[in-house]
Amino acid sequence: MWERILVIIRKEFRQTLREKRMRVFLIVPPIMQLMLFGFAVNLDLVNSPIAFMDLDQSVESRELLSHFQGSQQFNVKYMPDSDAAVQKLLDHGDAQAVIKVLPGFAREIHKGHTAHVQVLVDGANSNTASILTGYCSQVIQAYGQRLRTGVAPLSAVAVPRVWFNPDLLSRNFFVPGVIMNIITMMTLMLTAMAIVREREIGTMEQLMVTPIRPIELMLGKTLPFVCIGAVQMTLVTTVALLVFHIPFQGRVLTLVFATLIYLMTTLGSGLFLSTVSQTQQQALMSSFFFFTPAFMLSGFSFPIRNMPEPVQWLTLINPMRYFIEILRGIFLKGLGVAELAPQLSALFVIGCMVLFGSARRFHKRLD
Amino acid sequence: MSFRRIRAVFRKEFLHIVRDPRSLGMALLIPILMLGLFGYALSLDVNHLPAIIYDQDNSPASRDLIQAFQGSTYFDVRSVSGDYPSIEKGINSNKIVFGLVIPPDFTRLLEGGNVQVLLDGSDSNTASIAMAYVTTVVNLYALERTAQRLDQRTGMHVKPLTEAQVRVWYNNDLKSRNFIVPGLIPVILMIIAALLTSLCIAPEWENGTMEQLLSTPIRPTELLLGKLSAFFVLGAADTVMSLLAAVFLFNVPLKGSLAFLGLSSFIFLFGALSWGIFISAATKSQLIAYQVGLLSSFLPAFLLSGFIYAVDNMPTVIRFITNFIPAKYYVTIMKGIFLKGVGMKVMWLELLWLTVYAVIIFTLAVSKMKPKIA
Amino acid sequence: MPEPDAVVIDKLVKRFGTFVAVDNVSLRVAKGEIFGFLGPNGAGKSTTIRILCGLLGPTSGQATVSGFDVATQPELVKRSIGYMSQKFSLYGDLTVEENLDFFSGIYGVPKERREERKSFALRMANLEERRGELTGQLPGGWKQRLALGCAILHEPPILFLDEPTSGVDPIARRSFWDLIYDLSAGGQTIFVTTHYMDEAEYCHRVALMYKGKVIALDTPRAFKQRLGAKSMEEVFINEIERQEAATA
Repeated sequence: MWERILVIIRKEFRQTLREKRMRVFLIVPPIMQLMLFGFAVNLDLVNSPIAFMDLDQSVESRELLSHFQGSQQFNVKYMPDSDAAVQKLLDHGDAQAVIKVLPGFAREIHKGHTAHVQVLVDGANSNTASILTGYCSQVIQAYGQRLRTGVAPLSAVAVPRVWFNPDLLSRNFFVPGVIMNIITMMTLMLTAMAIVREREIGTMEQLMVTPIRPIELMLGKTLPFVCIGAVQMTLVTTVALLVFHIPFQGRVLTLVFATLIYLMTTLGSGLFLSTVSQTQQQALMSSFFFFTPAFMLSGFSFPIRNMPEPVQWLTLINPMRYFIEILRGIFLKGLGVAELAPQLSALFVIGCMVLFGSARRFHKRLD
Repeated sequence: MSFRRIRAVFRKEFLHIVRDPRSLGMALLIPILMLGLFGYALSLDVNHLPAIIYDQDNSPASRDLIQAFQGSTYFDVRSVSGDYPSIEKGINSNKIVFGLVIPPDFTRLLEGGNVQVLLDGSDSNTASIAMAYVTTVVNLYALERTAQRLDQRTGMHVKPLTEAQVRVWYNNDLKSRNFIVPGLIPVILMIIAALLTSLCIAPEWENGTMEQLLSTPIRPTELLLGKLSAFFVLGAADTVMSLLAAVFLFNVPLKGSLAFLGLSSFIFLFGALSWGIFISAATKSQLIAYQVGLLSSFLPAFLLSGFIYAVDNMPTVIRFITNFIPAKYYVTIMKGIFLKGVGMKVMWLELLWLTVYAVIIFTLAVSKMKPKIA
Repeated sequence: MPEPDAVVIDKLVKRFGTFVAVDNVSLRVAKGEIFGFLGPNGAGKSTTIRILCGLLGPTSGQATVSGFDVATQPELVKRSIGYMSQKFSLYGDLTVEENLDFFSGIYGVPKERREERKSFALRMANLEERRGELTGQLPGGWKQRLALGCAILHEPPILFLDEPTSGVDPIARRSFWDLIYDLSAGGQTIFVTTHYMDEAEYCHRVALMYKGKVIALDTPRAFKQRLGAKSMEEVFINEIERQEAATA
């Protein structure tokens, strides 16, 4: 039995690695994705550029400006002097917010009235907008209190202690997701395509009349892609650790173990796709429709807790959801098999079901 | 240039698409899938952040602070009687995002005192937003307390001297959906262009029908225009569909001019489809065309266009690279039209770049279509 | 005691939905025979062969190959047959030798026999000098010979050839049939479908299949004598016209 499987594996490697373009495609896309997510993709809110419009030109208004300039959260980049200029800044998205001090600001303060400062926020990006709003209110209110007491208000300070990712780097959050993305794409698509291609060129029929058993064919067809996936996983993890300095708190063994369990689901799905597709075109389309929602709903970038409740329930059957939790758990939190047991067992159950289901569909008949 | 020949190619290509229920279905399903995902399921709105509070002080002051958290929609206080182990467990099992620890001497320390925020940093985005929210709540609370004390000490109530009046421009409801959906249309068109062309045109090289076509008197430009226009119809239908869904289903306000939207979509789609055909012609293989298509169109349109991830936050080198991604200009235009209601006057430069890229890509595609006599 | 027949088909029926592809076919093929299956496109020849190879399940009826039931023992059937389909179905992106090695492994040819079988197949297909070339780049006739070579690596007692020579030039076809004769002389049973009438002349016995039914079965010589025809082509056209007249 192992002999026949080995023959198929050898053939599969030959076919995959013979073409130069294919070799390139096993290396370039993973690295490219890693670079994009590692360097480019970033949800950090650093130093949003803002504008300060001073229509009062008083000592107080200039003091307020210096408070904004002194704050780490802001980067006062523009000093517009007309509404048209403000409009332009916001329209082009050059400034995220405009602080507008109206004429009479100082007069109101001296009278002991509340002087209002307008904060115009670009709401296009809702998160940035709510955070900026909060920060602006703080600076403005603190200034008012300082005026009243003559000293800086002693505010209670929230001292953050950030676990797992102390510098709050986006890449530490994204890179485990990229690793999952790559290993899923490769094992799922290559498996599906390898089988469907044989069907398309007619060699599948030739294989079916040989004494080979379905299980041998399935193993022979999937194991090479496990190897390719493993090599890619090692490559990408190495780059992630060496180039991006992603922390790796957990144990390598846990990672290997979890990956093997996860591969059951991707290979099973690949086999399943191959049983429902007759042509490579169909296989590609089905894998797109299978992969995209599963990836988007995995929590790789959009937290699952933000999703509507029915969708949250739906993610319970999404293997990617569990695997990404596991990866982040191993990389960032240093969790072990015991802590990850719920996710691992969910993956195992899904994996068994998918593998069993597709193995049942995968037989050596044409009808 | 013969319009009869272009029309013949167009008709053939269009029949292909219409007869093959799968490609037609795909052209319809992709927008529905993406709109469903991004309009309904996925949201970047960070609110109802689950938290556990560990109140070591148990004083009126600490209870006031807890109330400030409980009253905010940004937080979902799961428990106010937590302790360190329960916070740790909550964070490890992804049940909560942060734990708030109020020290035993909070009341005494209030002037200059600290509360501790224990934060799960693994989701850096949620964590930094949560941190910002917590800081704001705590600071505003402290300011208020100080004011109360002053009032007590002086025996009179004084209104705050300064106050912020916030006005949100554009997206007043601060919904992330309004921000995402307009930028989604470029992503959808990019997928359609890359996927449909790679799956429908690359096989023509694989099975040799392209050779047949190239042996007729048809000129490469005509062939390209014919093929392009057939897919253009689909892309245009997708654009209209997405627009309708955005406006009527997701209630995203459309503030700007429809004519400008139509014009820029036309130019963008033209360029995107040319790119898809160029890839098919250059790779001549479905699988590779599909992968190159996804990598060169979908991924950049998704990641580097400002669709979700702000271009301003990217490192200089990558920011420079984004200038070569047409989707970036189209995303800017779509967001400008939808959210800000700005038009040609503000965004003529973006439109110009879109046009330049479309022309360059089309020329490239034509040159790839030319039969090579080796 | 007479040897048991290599192929026995009894009242075989295969339906695809309402379409009857194989309609109550019964026949026997003796060991060592070259048995020709003749008929226009869509007559049900390929479907019958696919059932015999265990690729399709029969709707009703029975068939045994080498004494094994095709419906219940398809894996045992597969050990004793070689199959070559009308579509070229080897790996174009593997070399001649790699294809042979691959099928040798899949058929489980014992290690010590492998080299011998491979050189036999290479010699037979006349591909010894092109063993290192990619299969996809071989001319059509060579590909067919290689496909036959791959199908006989494990010395199957029965060989199913489904239109093995379609799209091959007359000279290559001739040399292909020479190979078939050699194999038959070595005791192998050969079950071959074709729509080339001249090829039918080479068979020991020929069955005419039309619209899913076997309408006539005899030796080529008997056919011609009975109908006074000069060639199998005439026989074929006569039989089909007769059948058309009968059903009309």
